[in-house]
Amino acid sequence: MLFLRRVLWILLACAAAICLGAIAFSRGEHINSLWLVAAAGCTYLVGYRFYGKFIASRVMALDDRRATPAERLDDGHDFVPTNKWIVLGHHFAAIAGPGPLVGPVLAAQFGYLPGTLWIIAGAVLAGAVQDFVILFGSMRRDGKSLGQMAREEIGKVGGFVALITVLMIMIVLLAVVALVVVNALAGSPWGTFTIAATMPVALFMGLYLRYWRPGKVLECSAIGFVLVLASVFGGQWVAGSATLAPVFTLSAMAVAIAIIIYGFFASALPVWLLLAPRDYLSTFVKLGVIALLAIGIFVVRPELQMPALSRFADGTGPVFAGKIFPFCFITIACGAVSGFHALISSGTTPKMISRETDATQIGYGAMLMESFVAIMAMIAACSLDPGVYFAVNSPAGIVGKTADAAVKTISGWGFPVTVQQMADMAHHAGEVTLFGRTGGAPSLALGMAHIFASGGGGDAVLGFWYHFAIMFEALFILTIIDAGTRVGRFMLQDLLSHVWKPLGRTSWMPGVIGASAVIVLSWGYFLIQGVRDPLGGINSLWPLFGIANQLLAAVALSVATTILLKMHGPKFMWITCVPLVWLVLVTFTAAYQKIWSPIPRIGFLAQASQLQATGSAAASIRAQIFNNRLDAVVCGTFMLLVAIILLDSLRLWFGIISGTADSRVAETPFVPTQLNPEEA
Amino acid sequence: MKLIRRFVAGFLALLREIGDENAYARHLTSHGTTHSAAEWRKFSDERFRAKYQNAKCC
Repeated sequence: MLFLRRVLWILLACAAAICLGAIAFSRGEHINSLWLVAAAGCTYLVGYRFYGKFIASRVMALDDRRATPAERLDDGHDFVPTNKWIVLGHHFAAIAGPGPLVGPVLAAQFGYLPGTLWIIAGAVLAGAVQDFVILFGSMRRDGKSLGQMAREEIGKVGGFVALITVLMIMIVLLAVVALVVVNALAGSPWGTFTIAATMPVALFMGLYLRYWRPGKVLECSAIGFVLVLASVFGGQWVAGSATLAPVFTLSAMAVAIAIIIYGFFASALPVWLLLAPRDYLSTFVKLGVIALLAIGIFVVRPELQMPALSRFADGTGPVFAGKIFPFCFITIACGAVSGFHALISSGTTPKMISRETDATQIGYGAMLMESFVAIMAMIAACSLDPGVYFAVNSPAGIVGKTADAAVKTISGWGFPVTVQQMADMAHHAGEVTLFGRTGGAPSLALGMAHIFASGGGGDAVLGFWYHFAIMFEALFILTIIDAGTRVGRFMLQDLLSHVWKPLGRTSWMPGVIGASAVIVLSWGYFLIQGVRDPLGGINSLWPLFGIANQLLAAVALSVATTILLKMHGPKFMWITCVPLVWLVLVTFTAAYQKIWSPIPRIGFLAQASQLQATGSAAASIRAQIFNNRLDAVVCGTFMLLVAIILLDSLRLWFGIISGTADSRVAETPFVPTQLNPEEA
Repeated sequence: MKLIRRFVAGFLALLREIGDENAYARHLTSHGTTHSAAEWRKFSDERFRAKYQNAKCC
């Protein structure tokens, strides 16, 4: 039996190597997407079985005899021993956001190869390791948060800087995800109506759950799903109506302002009325659509139309500027490593785990699942005709303002596309135009719609699936905006309470309104900046978000390295230190280039200088100059904050290794479990 | 057949956990009370307050 098992693992490892080799060395002909699926699947299995289990048994020494916080502190609310499959689903639903969907779509401009390799390798060697070690650390410390662990393991400076970093990252995150929605809805009456209709649906669900059928969450969500589905069909009718279509055809600026106003009110409304019901619905829809996409890819087995490596590896890409190193890694972000996951791994999840060994499946396994979502997004984007992909994702500032100019530029790059082809596709998708729909969401929706429509229905159902995918993306992005603004407000009020106590009270309305306004205006400012940017906004904001997210991962890996160092000395610190060094190299190079690169499309300061050299006194030019300088300052601040944490960590690590610093592990003492294996 | 039944049961349990229905059932058990509109409101207010202290992941 043991022999057979060994043979099976050897075969799986060989399959992984063959599939990776096939996608890496295939040139000049289209390959089937199942090669990517198989390469990812086999690598994940081998990585989980050997690397994940090695960390679990040798490094963390997970011990099922030890009672977890869920058992010891069981209060029926936060701390509850829960079945491992349920915690896995819960954790996966919490970590899967728009990042792993949008990032790979944008990175597809380099071709499918660089992004795919990083998604697979990054998840197995860095992302899953980070999530797992932080989950373990929190589980052994009564479910403490990343900030608390940073404060206790590294020091007060680290803890405070981590708080500021998270707040700043959230502002950039909210702006960039809002921009994704804006670019998907601008000029689209079908999409705008569908998303607008989800708001009364959510309000209805809130009232239903609160007053009419309290506690019936699944029933309420099923009704909500039917209603949002009806709103997708309703959107098609609105788009075809001569009276209503103009009402719902909004400019990018109008959509942006609507989202900013929405963000302000939504964060101040009672949670039960809008946020919570939509959160339930969007989580269910998210899990359902991800499963549907996986089934669709297996059934349709689309061929990848994008080359393995495109000409834009040289850094001249139209979607965003910059070479593969470091910008592919920054752009993929959450699909391979995400700092935000560390907040979830040290949030709800460690309070639900009933047996220590379940943490491998949950911490390491869920990240591999998220990585697979990123692979599916890459497949959806790369199964589009490359000419169409670039026509959708290239801003007018790069390819030209007219359709003729755009197809000429894109065809000139070696990716043939025609005006008629784009017009037909827009017609089938129920859109006026698909040119310059930057941000990733429209091209992902188009790729998904193609896969679903190829499964049955063809072009006749393309419009439905396209807008269903847009609805799915916008639904959970709006939940992120709503919840993020609220959390940002809490954090700001917490910080301001040190200045004047009443500002910290979450029930004091002037404080609530003032702090909400500051947060909304902060991300709203970056959003408007993105909308006005002639290069499409994504070129500057997505890298800024990617850098911020990966720097947060660097903070989490610093905490993780400190934990491992205190447990074992330097023996196993390479496990988190190698990904940390890589992330620091990538993020600091990207941040440096975004600030100082002499190429105006990459460097914020170079772009500001170029605009200044025009000598124009126009208000829009002055605003662009200011915005570029502001982006440079934000980027520099991120670098500075993380450098402080890294230096603080290095000081501590040298102290521990040389024996001058306290190396005691801050774990809670061992308490034997009372749960029997069945209960656990 | 047994495997499918177990899978469906597990899947429904996951949906109920995500939808906080399991947490509500635990709340009723631990407080020794029965379901009512007021009890749900009390539970959900407390639950949402804790849940939305944290940002949604990107």
